[in-house]
Amino acid sequence: MKTVAFNLMPYKDLPADFEKKYDSVWVSIPRTLYDPRKGHQYYHDYLDALETAVDLGYDAVGVNEHHSNGYGLMPSPNLMASILSRKVRHSDTTSLVVLGNSLALYNPPIRVAEEMAMLDVLSGGKFIAGFPVGTSMDTNYVYGINPSEMRERYYEAHELVMKAWTSDEVFTWNGKYNQLRYVNTWPRTAQRPHPPVWIPGGGSVETYDFSLLNDYSFSYLSFFGHKYAKKVMGPFWDRADALGKDRNPYRAGYAQFICVSETDAQAQIDYEEHVKYFFAKCMHIDPRFFEAPGYRTVASLRAGLRSQLDGTAKVGKAILDQGFGWKELVESGYIIAGSPQTVREQIIEAARELHVGNLIWLFHVGSMPQHLTLKNLHLFAEGVLPHIRNLWPQWDAAPFWPSGFGDDPSQPAAHRDVA
Amino acid sequence: MANPTTHTYQVNARLAIDTLEAGSGEPLLFLHGAGGLAWDPYLDALAERRRVIAPYLPGTSKSNDISQVRDLWDLVLCYYDLLDALGIASADVIGHSMGGMIACEMAAVDQSRVARLIAIAPAGLFDMENPMPDIFAMLPQELAGRILIDPQSELAKMLGALPDDVDEQVEVLIQRLSTLNAAAKFLWPIPDKGLIRRLPRIKAPTLVIWGRQDGLIPVGYGETFRSLIPNARLEVLDQASHLVQLERLPEALSLTLQALQWPAGDAP
Repeated sequence: MKTVAFNLMPYKDLPADFEKKYDSVWVSIPRTLYDPRKGHQYYHDYLDALETAVDLGYDAVGVNEHHSNGYGLMPSPNLMASILSRKVRHSDTTSLVVLGNSLALYNPPIRVAEEMAMLDVLSGGKFIAGFPVGTSMDTNYVYGINPSEMRERYYEAHELVMKAWTSDEVFTWNGKYNQLRYVNTWPRTAQRPHPPVWIPGGGSVETYDFSLLNDYSFSYLSFFGHKYAKKVMGPFWDRADALGKDRNPYRAGYAQFICVSETDAQAQIDYEEHVKYFFAKCMHIDPRFFEAPGYRTVASLRAGLRSQLDGTAKVGKAILDQGFGWKELVESGYIIAGSPQTVREQIIEAARELHVGNLIWLFHVGSMPQHLTLKNLHLFAEGVLPHIRNLWPQWDAAPFWPSGFGDDPSQPAAHRDVA
Repeated sequence: MANPTTHTYQVNARLAIDTLEAGSGEPLLFLHGAGGLAWDPYLDALAERRRVIAPYLPGTSKSNDISQVRDLWDLVLCYYDLLDALGIASADVIGHSMGGMIACEMAAVDQSRVARLIAIAPAGLFDMENPMPDIFAMLPQELAGRILIDPQSELAKMLGALPDDVDEQVEVLIQRLSTLNAAAKFLWPIPDKGLIRRLPRIKAPTLVIWGRQDGLIPVGYGETFRSLIPNARLEVLDQASHLVQLERLPEALSLTLQALQWPAGDAP
């Protein structure tokens, strides 16, 4: 298994009464709550932690994109990734993941092709490109994209970016949403024909098929842990079977909060407050912004509505609203927490259950201070990482992981010796 | 109430439009709002005097989906195509809310197709000094409070009623959501698509009706429509919100019927 040390970069000092006093951590969070001096400290602490993860030999460091969001302070993850690329380029083991750029938001989308090519070149061909459709909050409410156009924009942008990466000719793009007379993306990507692509998403069949048919790796990003993720990964592998794809676990990843301490009891002492901060404040999202009309297809709506109305749906957030304590959060798998031994046993069990090769490890939770973040990173690297690396010895991660400078022999290999 | 009949017209190579129709006589086109098309007492009363043709917005009925219409411009052309399919050169057009916006566009783009225009609390403008609320970020009970002066009234209960059976509930909710999905295509993220520049092109004599307590589109927007449409009269009804034609049915009906008597092309 491969582990991505992944950081959302939350704002850590929301007021104690935040969830009572304010409507939402996302879209309408008051700007007055943002203190740039604290923000300055956070960014550098978070980058330090990610750089530590490179030193500790994690398989990748990862960042992602959110807008007007109090738990995700990276409107532009590419800025963060470019800083990290300086360190990643010297590492033998660590790749760089941007998970990712919401393609429908970029106008024109060749901006993504350009910036990600820069990141690929900067990192020495160790870059993984994530292409999420994006949440309704970011995409529709904050960035104003018409929900009826979102998926079409996404698919068109994806096609354009891939063509920009793989074409050696200047070409013209006559799309519905993008018209470009001259597409000629400089620089080229370091990896040939292009960096591996990961698709972060929720549980829609469209996304499973899109990932599988393109041989991209699917990442299920939720904050509700491995038990909840089973609902998604089961159907994902069923689709893989139906489409005649192998069950290479590196086709899939999932996100998980994991908190490591010396003992199980110490984990609660160390992390409980910060985990509760996350679920109470960072998941305080105004339901008015959950889903713009047209965000989901009618087929997904119908399935979702039925389970809501007949009471079979247990939404992660709804469970939290019933008042979860530490014990329930651990037992329900929202977090994996405890001693290195406890943690590695649970990770191995979860990974086998979900059949995933990529662990998107949320190593920082909520209001976690820097010393605990670093403790978590060190204890995991020493006591967990060596035990989970060889979980899938029979499978090759290479199709879904970076290869360094131009390894595809069918492509021009002029840059092969640059590394 | 009259039993309206359902019709389907293949209006062009890409699109079929479904309608509800009742009555006889001169055709009268009714374009519904973002809440969807329902045969209500206002339409029923109009159908006693005219042939009422009420098309479903594409994407809100069985014969089409919203992806078959590219944008607002395309939608306006599709409604002209519908008039062609009906064999109607020029029609009186009533539009409510989003339908009012579309009716104004139809009257402004091809001035020959709309004889008389009745715009009931039309969408299509956005005043940053007096912004309308975001209908796409509203809980259901909040929406009811915005569009009705009395959200506890019989009218409100009728509009919000859900069947008991879960399967039927799902279908009713899907219908409501599909309607909102289709409406969002033309109204997202705010409903200003440049109509303010086109209103002065409208030649049809125009009646604008507004509820004084409209909680969705402020009554002040009515004056902007009146002042920019060359032959327009504004009627503001008290004790009414956004569903003014149902909340003040006799008055709205009487104003509508008077306007339908105006000589086409004359100043009201």
